[in-house]
Amino acid sequence: MTFLDLAWKNAWRKPLRTVLLMVCVAVAFLIYGLTASFLAGSQGASAASEDIIGVMSAAGRTQALPRAHLSRIAAEPGVAAVGYMARVRGFVDVEKNVIAVSAVEPQALMAVNGKELGLTPALVEALGKGRDRVLVGRALAEAQGWRVGQRIAVTAFQIARQDGGQDWRFEIAGIFEGESASTDTYFTIARYDYVNAARARGKDTVDAFIVRPRDGVKAGALATRIDALFANSAAPTRSQSEKQFLEAFLRQYADIGLIVDLVTGAAFITLLLIVVNTMVFAVRERPFEIGVLKTLGISRLRIMALVLSETLLVFIIGGSVGLALAKLGTVLAGPTLGLVFSPLVLVKAAAIVLALGLATGLLPAINAMRIPIIIAFRTR
Amino acid sequence: MTQDPYIALAGVRKGYRIGGEAIPIFSALDLAIPRGDFVAVMGPSGSGKSTLLNMLAGIDVPDAGSLSIGNHRLDRMGEAARSTWRAHNMGIVFQFYNLLPMLNAAENVELPLLLKPLSARERRVRVGKMLDLVGLSGREKQYPSMMSGGQQQRVGIARAIVSDPGLLLCDEPTGDLDRKSADEVLEMLSFLNRQLEKTIVMVTHDPQAARSAKRTLHLDKGQFVERAAS
Repeated sequence: MTFLDLAWKNAWRKPLRTVLLMVCVAVAFLIYGLTASFLAGSQGASAASEDIIGVMSAAGRTQALPRAHLSRIAAEPGVAAVGYMARVRGFVDVEKNVIAVSAVEPQALMAVNGKELGLTPALVEALGKGRDRVLVGRALAEAQGWRVGQRIAVTAFQIARQDGGQDWRFEIAGIFEGESASTDTYFTIARYDYVNAARARGKDTVDAFIVRPRDGVKAGALATRIDALFANSAAPTRSQSEKQFLEAFLRQYADIGLIVDLVTGAAFITLLLIVVNTMVFAVRERPFEIGVLKTLGISRLRIMALVLSETLLVFIIGGSVGLALAKLGTVLAGPTLGLVFSPLVLVKAAAIVLALGLATGLLPAINAMRIPIIIAFRTR
Repeated sequence: MTQDPYIALAGVRKGYRIGGEAIPIFSALDLAIPRGDFVAVMGPSGSGKSTLLNMLAGIDVPDAGSLSIGNHRLDRMGEAARSTWRAHNMGIVFQFYNLLPMLNAAENVELPLLLKPLSARERRVRVGKMLDLVGLSGREKQYPSMMSGGQQQRVGIARAIVSDPGLLLCDEPTGDLDRKSADEVLEMLSFLNRQLEKTIVMVTHDPQAARSAKRTLHLDKGQFVERAAS
């Protein structure tokens, strides 16, 4: 037997109470694990690059820019590579099955963003073999059950074809994986020349330019210079890093980070109150035994450590179960929600487990430490 | 040449305040107990038996005077030092056994050894020997709730001696037992005193229990009255 065994046996003296406490802890960490995975995932902004700049219309994201801006942006010192894209939003089969198609110039995209998207020369070559070919992101392919070689039809919400139809037909040339699990791969990459030639309106316009700065060039400063180029033009621009863009985009709906902090904060504060209250009572139930331990020569500090170990055990087991369920949840949710239970999420959660375990155990541990033996024996 | 007493109290004063009223227990208590003695302390309720035992155990301290055990001045030690001293030099046998209910017999006996630098195997061997000594071999896995009072008290004695202390303090060790179990416990204490040379101080109300001791001290109004054991 060790002191840890003793703490373990103490923790299990009332199994139902201990199990309920662990369930509370597990639920709180399930919530934390899922929300943190959301922020770490492709739906959150944490995985977005701060180095890649998106250049959009200053009039709003839905407003197009002339493709002619390309040469001036490319000529700007500090720009390593520049690409462009036109966005086609639509649905497949049913209206709620919404997907996005980014029509790009493949070689330019490869130069700007190929590494992050996991594009390979073979994929780009496959895309180049036919004008109606597309590359599909892994998350989207898995969610839709698409395979290479399959033909798909996307019904656009807004961008009509010259023939009056809304349906855009593509052949899947390959699947790109993304650099990491956090990379958004829930979209399709098509060829700009195909979309541009076939669309009824908005020819030779783009929704955004994508710029990669040269090494050592600050993205913020370059963005300012690019916007200055077009400040007095008919189509002024607003440039932001990918991360800024995504954060601003998400903030259209709500401050996601704040909401997540509030939800997890409320869960943890509730948990703190429940566990502190329960542990204070758990220790009050047995001052006599604490007195016995002290008469055996077990020091006040060891008594304190014993009670802290009890709460830590509850938190470690409950927290592990909650985080395991969160991990399972991210796997079961599939790529659609873009949840990523990253090692960083795990490390942060582990730190919170330890901090809360110690914080909740502190008050009952101090009570146990301070109770005099004589008083403890009177409680029998 | 006279041998220094193992336990020595000189001019010990002790009192409590209850609701603002000072209640003196001892005004100038003196006591000397040689090593290897077996002393029973008797006296009416409120005579200070428990206070004396608490001070000997280092659970309480005198207001004045000196209290030394084995040349260690307990009255000068802080709480942490007394706690460490207790762990290495003293075993306590309680009236109500005071076993931890969630631990089995072997684990209860092992508790004081957690403070010793012993391997798990060494601890196991020592616990086995102690349970054997108190006649509880084969009952290692039994929990207190599965044992009789006499068996629980024997576990309590095994726990008190497992770390091989020189001094055993017993607080009414037979007070909660039937006669037969009480006799077994007293026989065991006598054995520990005679064979293992443990110094024993036993507080009791039971004259028959007191007869197991080498001598009996009667505590009355904060002073000892010594009589030869009959």
